[in-house]
Amino acid sequence: MDDRTQRILDIVVNSFLPLLKAGVEFTVPLALISFALGLVVALLAALARLSGNRVLSGIARFYVWIIRGTPLLVQLFIIFYGLPSIGLTLGAFPSAVIGFTLSVGAYGSEIIRAAIQSIARGQWEAAYSVGMTYSQALRRIVIPQATRVAVPPLANSFISLIKDTSLAAAITMTELFRVAQQITATTYEPLVLYSEAAVIYLIFSTVLSWVQGWLENRFSRHVAK
Amino acid sequence: MIQIRNLHKSFDDLHILKGIDLEVGSGETVVIIGPSGSGKTTLLRCLNLLETPTSGSLELGALHLTFTPGKPLRRDETLALRRETGMVFQSYNLFPHMTALQNLMEGQVTVLGRSKAEAREKALQLLKKVGLADRADMYPHQLSGGQQQRVGIARAMAMDPKVLLFDEPTSALDPELVGEVLRVMKELAQEGMTMVVVTHEMKFARDVADKVVFIDGGVVVEQGPPEQVFEATQQERTKQFLNKLSV
Ligand SMILES: Nc1ncnc2c1ncn2[C@@H]1O[C@H](COP(=O)(O)OP(=O)(O)OP(=O)(O)O)[C@@H](O)[C@H]1O
Ligand SMILES: [Mg+2]
Repeated sequence: MDDRTQRILDIVVNSFLPLLKAGVEFTVPLALISFALGLVVALLAALARLSGNRVLSGIARFYVWIIRGTPLLVQLFIIFYGLPSIGLTLGAFPSAVIGFTLSVGAYGSEIIRAAIQSIARGQWEAAYSVGMTYSQALRRIVIPQATRVAVPPLANSFISLIKDTSLAAAITMTELFRVAQQITATTYEPLVLYSEAAVIYLIFSTVLSWVQGWLENRFSRHVAK
Repeated sequence: MIQIRNLHKSFDDLHILKGIDLEVGSGETVVIIGPSGSGKTTLLRCLNLLETPTSGSLELGALHLTFTPGKPLRRDETLALRRETGMVFQSYNLFPHMTALQNLMEGQVTVLGRSKAEAREKALQLLKKVGLADRADMYPHQLSGGQQQRVGIARAMAMDPKVLLFDEPTSALDPELVGEVLRVMKELAQEGMTMVVVTHEMKFARDVADKVVFIDGGVVVEQGPPEQVFEATQQERTKQFLNKLSV
């Protein structure tokens, strides 16, 4: 084995654990927390859009318009580098959580809204005809069915989110990608390090798509034809 | 039991119900017939406020509702009326994510606040009544249309409504499945359930109805006992409608 090959092998072996550790300690929690909070925001925004209340639905529409119409990276910069100038200084992790939550909330609200609207009117009417209120019908009849519709696209957006968390490197968060950058800076092997980071992202998203398949299977039972 | 007075319903500027007066006595079965588009479904939906009438009044038991254009009903009035009525839909509208048993328990637990055990017992008893005791744990998509509709009837009954409303309960069914549903309905009628039934099943109307109501163009054209409406028809429009059916 020549020296160069040996050197690269050493770098790969030595960097794998730090990269994986950054992934497990920061990338995955960032994605999980942002996604969980984002789903709550998404549901609220979707319900606001569907509420028939002009003010609420206007606010929700405005929010979705802003978030979908501007780059996530720019949003993260505004939160992390911009807000301190008006006295709001947040750490890298909270900034990233806020940025990704708002993003998941906006895209997710469109998914949830579409899923709720896909439930046949007859289901609402059947719920009302047994005397349910709007919120009972929503909770007991419509949301459980809409969930089945929303799970595949929401799982897709979670996989996108895992990949998008690499943007947090740009606001100094030491997640997977930033650690790859740091090691690159000392080893001068960008091809090796960034490929290795890519492989770890690939592992994460592959595992997630298995989970997605399993979830879809579970949720596709007993769906109205 | 039910007293409808001068009921109007418009969708925007489409005037669909043009002053319906109708009385349904306790324990009576009233069958509503009429051509397509005459407003039968709209009338039935007005009775449990899936549509809000534009004007007129509706009494059901102790509830007296008056409708004024542009004035929405109070939520508690709407809910109170719906508690007294059960609806059976043409397309069943069972909850697909629940078993037959759960379909019957849902409203009892969520709306009436019954305990699960109590709701379950009532549900099983009703499933038995409609001949589906052995299908309790099946999901709607695992049942035939006739079985689904019988679950639909049992689901409505589970809420102990004062009146059951049926909108063409058999018209989505294959002909060989119509009988089993009509049998259940006939049994309910004979047990003294108050029912308002929109149907094209004239034999059912003849055998079971206490009163037949012919609606055309959003008004009651003719009403009376089935013998009278079918054999001694008064109105020309009713005659034409009945003639077309028997051809
Ligand atoms: N939500 C609505 N908006 C506008 N028009 C409506 C609405 N619902 C019903 N209509 C109209 O009201 C009229 C009466 O409809 P309805 O469904 O009550 O008739 P029907 O007697 O039940 O007919 P069918 O025998 O075909 O079921 C129709 O012309 C229909 O297009
Ligand atoms: Mg109809």
